[in-house]
Amino acid sequence: MNSNAQVASFASSSEISPDALRRHGIRDTVLRNATRSAALTVLLLLGGVIISLIHGSLPAFKAFGFGFFVTETWNPVTEKFGALAPIYGTVVTSLIAMLIGIPISMGVAIFITELCPRWLKRPISTAIELLAGIPSIIYGIWGLFVLSPFLQKYVQPLLIELFSGVPVLSGMFAGPPYGIGVFTAGIILSIMVLPYITSVTRDVFETVPAVLKESAYGLGCTTWEVVSRVVLPYTRAGVIGGIMLGLGRALGETMAVTFVIGNSHRIAASILAPGTTISANIANEFTEADGELYTSSLIAQGLILFLITFIVLAAARLLLLRLDMQTGKKA
Amino acid sequence: MNEQSPTAGISMHKPQLAPRNDSEINKQALTEKVSVKDVCFYYGEHKALKNISLPIYERKVTALIGPSGCGKSTLLRIFNRMYDLYPRQRAEGQILFDGSNILDPKRDLNLLRARIGMVFQKPTPFPMSIYDNIAFGIRLYERLPKSEMDDRVESALKRAALWDEVKSKLNQSGLGLSGGQQQRLCIARTIAVRPEVVLLDEPTSALDPIATAKVEELIYQLKNDYTIAIVTHNMQQAARVADYTAFMYLGELVEFGETRQVFTKPTKSRTEDYITGRFG
Amino acid sequence: MNMNLAIYRRRRIFNRAIMLLSWFAAVSGIFVLTLILGTLLYKGFGGLSWKVFSETTPPPGSDGGLLNAIYGSVVMTVLGTVIGTPIGMLAGTYMAEYGRGSKLTLLVRFINDILLSAPSIVVGLFVYEIMVVGMKHFSAWAGGVSLAFLVLPVVVRTTEDMLLLVPDSMREASAALGSPRWIVIMKVAYRAARAGMITGVLLAVARITGETAPLLFTALNNQFMSTNMNAPMANLPVVIFQFALSPYVDWQKLAWTGALLITITVLALNIGARALTSSRSKQS
Repeated sequence: MNSNAQVASFASSSEISPDALRRHGIRDTVLRNATRSAALTVLLLLGGVIISLIHGSLPAFKAFGFGFFVTETWNPVTEKFGALAPIYGTVVTSLIAMLIGIPISMGVAIFITELCPRWLKRPISTAIELLAGIPSIIYGIWGLFVLSPFLQKYVQPLLIELFSGVPVLSGMFAGPPYGIGVFTAGIILSIMVLPYITSVTRDVFETVPAVLKESAYGLGCTTWEVVSRVVLPYTRAGVIGGIMLGLGRALGETMAVTFVIGNSHRIAASILAPGTTISANIANEFTEADGELYTSSLIAQGLILFLITFIVLAAARLLLLRLDMQTGKKA
Repeated sequence: MNEQSPTAGISMHKPQLAPRNDSEINKQALTEKVSVKDVCFYYGEHKALKNISLPIYERKVTALIGPSGCGKSTLLRIFNRMYDLYPRQRAEGQILFDGSNILDPKRDLNLLRARIGMVFQKPTPFPMSIYDNIAFGIRLYERLPKSEMDDRVESALKRAALWDEVKSKLNQSGLGLSGGQQQRLCIARTIAVRPEVVLLDEPTSALDPIATAKVEELIYQLKNDYTIAIVTHNMQQAARVADYTAFMYLGELVEFGETRQVFTKPTKSRTEDYITGRFG
Repeated sequence: MNMNLAIYRRRRIFNRAIMLLSWFAAVSGIFVLTLILGTLLYKGFGGLSWKVFSETTPPPGSDGGLLNAIYGSVVMTVLGTVIGTPIGMLAGTYMAEYGRGSKLTLLVRFINDILLSAPSIVVGLFVYEIMVVGMKHFSAWAGGVSLAFLVLPVVVRTTEDMLLLVPDSMREASAALGSPRWIVIMKVAYRAARAGMITGVLLAVARITGETAPLLFTALNNQFMSTNMNAPMANLPVVIFQFALSPYVDWQKLAWTGALLITITVLALNIGARALTSSRSKQS
C-alpha cells in the first residue's frame, strides 16, 4: 500500500487531518536542508576569508615579490613596504609569551591537580578561566597605564643594570627603559595565554589514571617526580596541544599588543625597545591607509598571520584529537 | 485468520473492558495480529537473526526469552522499525501486520509507530511536565480541545495505575518522579495514542521489586485491550505474565508455544537447559 | 637496602623548590587577576555617573558620556547575535542529528574549531573586503556582520556538544510514538539541551563584548549619536581605543569607565552561563 493510501485510510478512521501528516513530511525536508546548508556555511566562511585575503594581497605581492617577507622598510610616502619588522615582532612577542607563560601555566596546573586543597580547586579554576574571559582591550589599557609605568620605573632599569656587562644579553636588554615595547607586549601576552594552557593542561592531567600515579608514589617518588616522570609523559600530546592553542592566541592577539608595543617599524636588538606586530600594525594603520599598495600590504600581512595561526591551530587540534581517541572519548 | 475488509483491520480499536473470565477468553478465536515470516537481521555484515518465524496473537502476551545476545531485543525492535534510525542495520523477510508487510521499504514509519508502541528498558520521560509527556504523542496526530485532551491524559494515567499518584502534580516535570513511576509514565504515554500492539523491551529490569510487581500487574490488565510482546531476561516474569513464550538462542528461534507448556514440558533440550538454569 | 641519604635529601629539596614555585605561580595568577579587576574598579568606578549613560562622547577638554558608544555596542552585539545564532544552531544540529560521524561533520568541526581561535582582526579584514568595499562606506551593518562571524563558531560548538549529550534513548522514545524527525529534534532534543544551548549563546555574546579589531574597519567610530545603520557607528571598544591612547585626561577617564562597563557585562554573562549549567545539572 503506498504512502497516500496509508495516510488516507489511517486518517479516515479517526479524527486526524491528512494535511497534518503531509505537513510533517515537508517540515522534515525543510529542517534537513536548512541544517545542512548552515553546516556548509562554516566551510564557506573559511573559504571566503582565505579567498578575500588572497585577493586583497595580490597587488602587494605582485609589486614586492618575495622581498616583502625580508624587507624592513615601511615607507608610505615612497610606497615601499616590507613585512619583516611586523613578522619579527609577532614571532618575538609570542616567543617571550611562551617562555614566560608555559612554566607558569604548568605550575598552576600542578598546583590545581596535586597541591590544592579540595575546596579550593573550583574557585581557583574559575578564577583562572575568568582571566580568559577578560577582553583584550582591557589588558591593553591595563598594560599601558599600570604595567608599563611599573616596568619602566622598577624592572627595566634593573634588567639593564643586571646584564650590562654580559656579552650577548647586554645587547638584548639595552636601554633606555621606555616601559612599552616588545618585552612588555610579551609579558601581557603571557598573562593572556596562561588560562588557555592551564585549563587544557589541567584537564589532561586529570585524565591520568589514579593507579598510575599511586604506583609511582608507592615507590617513594616525590610529587615532582610523579609529575615529570609519569603525568607529563602520559599527557604529552594534550599538553603540547594546549601550548599550541596558547601560541595560536598569542600570535593573533591584537588590541593588548597594540597598546603597549610602541608601534615602531624598526627591528631593534634590544627587546626593551618598541617594535610592532602584524596585528598591531594592521590595527594602527589600516583606517588611514590610502593607496592600493598601502592597503594591500596590510592585507598581505593579514594573510601571513592567518596562515601562521591556521597551521599552528590545525596542528594543535590534530594533536588534541589524537589524545581524545587515546582516552576513548571519540571513536 | 478471519476474512477482513480492507479498512477494518486498520481502524483504531476503542479500548473495551473485556471479562476476566478465563474460560470465556479461551473460547475466543485466536487471531494472529503480527506474523513473522523468515526474518533475518544484519548489523553491518554480521547476521544477528536467522530465519525467524513466529506468530504474535491478538490480545495475548507473548514473551521473548533467552540468554544475553540471543537477539530477542533485536527482534522486538524490528516490529516498529526502530532499526531504521541507524544506517548499518537492515532486515530481510516479511512481518505481516494486519495483512501488510511491515518491512516494506515504502511503509510510512511514523504511522506504523503510532499503531505499534514501545516501552524501553530505561525510563525516558521527556523534559516536560507530566501532562505534556502524555499529551505529546496524541498531539502528533490529533487536534483535540482541551477538555478532551484532559480526559485522554487522565484515562491513560489511570490505565497505567499512575493517576492517583500524580493527579495533583500534572504540571511538574516528569523527571521528578521515582524510577518506577517514570516507567509507568512511559507506559501511559505509549498507550495514550491508542496503539494496537505494545512492545515492552525489558521494562522492569531497571526497577526495584515493588515497582516491578506493579508493572507486571499492569501488563496483565493491559492485555485485555492490547496485543503485547515483551522481552525479558527474567524467566519467572515470563512465566507470570505471558500467554505464549518464544525461546531464542544465538539468533535463532528454538521453541515457541504456550507458556505453561514451554516451561513444564519443553520439546527442545536447549530450552530445557535454559529453563533449568544450566546456562544463561 | 642501602639508602644514600644524600641523594634522597637532594631529591626532597628539589621537589620542595618546584612545589614552592607552583604555589607561587598559582598565587601570581590570582594576584594578576585581582590587580587587573582592582585597577579597573578603582579607575573606572569614579567616572561612573548618570552622565555616562545620557551624554554622548565629548570633544577633548569637555564633559560628556558614552551614550552613543553604548548604544552602538548594544545594537551591533544584538545584530551579530541575531545573525550568528540561528545559523550556528542549525549547523550544530546538522552535526549532531543528521550527520553524526559523517565526513562533512568531521570537516566542519575541525574548521569550526580553527575559526573559533583565529585572530579576530582577520574577520574584520574579510568583512571589510566584502561589505565596506562593496558598499563603499563603513557601516553598522558591517560591524554587526563581523560580530556575527565571531558568534557563529561558538554557537556551532556548544550546540553540537549539548545535543550530543542528549541520550539517544530519548530520541528513540519519541520516534517510538510516531514522531517525524523534525519533532524528535525540535521538540525533544532541543528541549533537553535547552539550558546548554542558551549557555552557548551567552558565552558567544560574552566573547564579542569588547571585541575591538573587527569593528575597527567595519563600523569605525562616530563622534555623535547616530541610529543610522548604514553609516559608521560609535561603539565602546573603539572609543576606548581612541580615548585611552590620547593625551587627554578626561578622555582617559572615560576610557576606564567604558572598560569597567565592558568587563562587568562580560563577567555577568559568564557567571550567568555558569549558573544556568549548574542548576540544570543539579536538577537531573
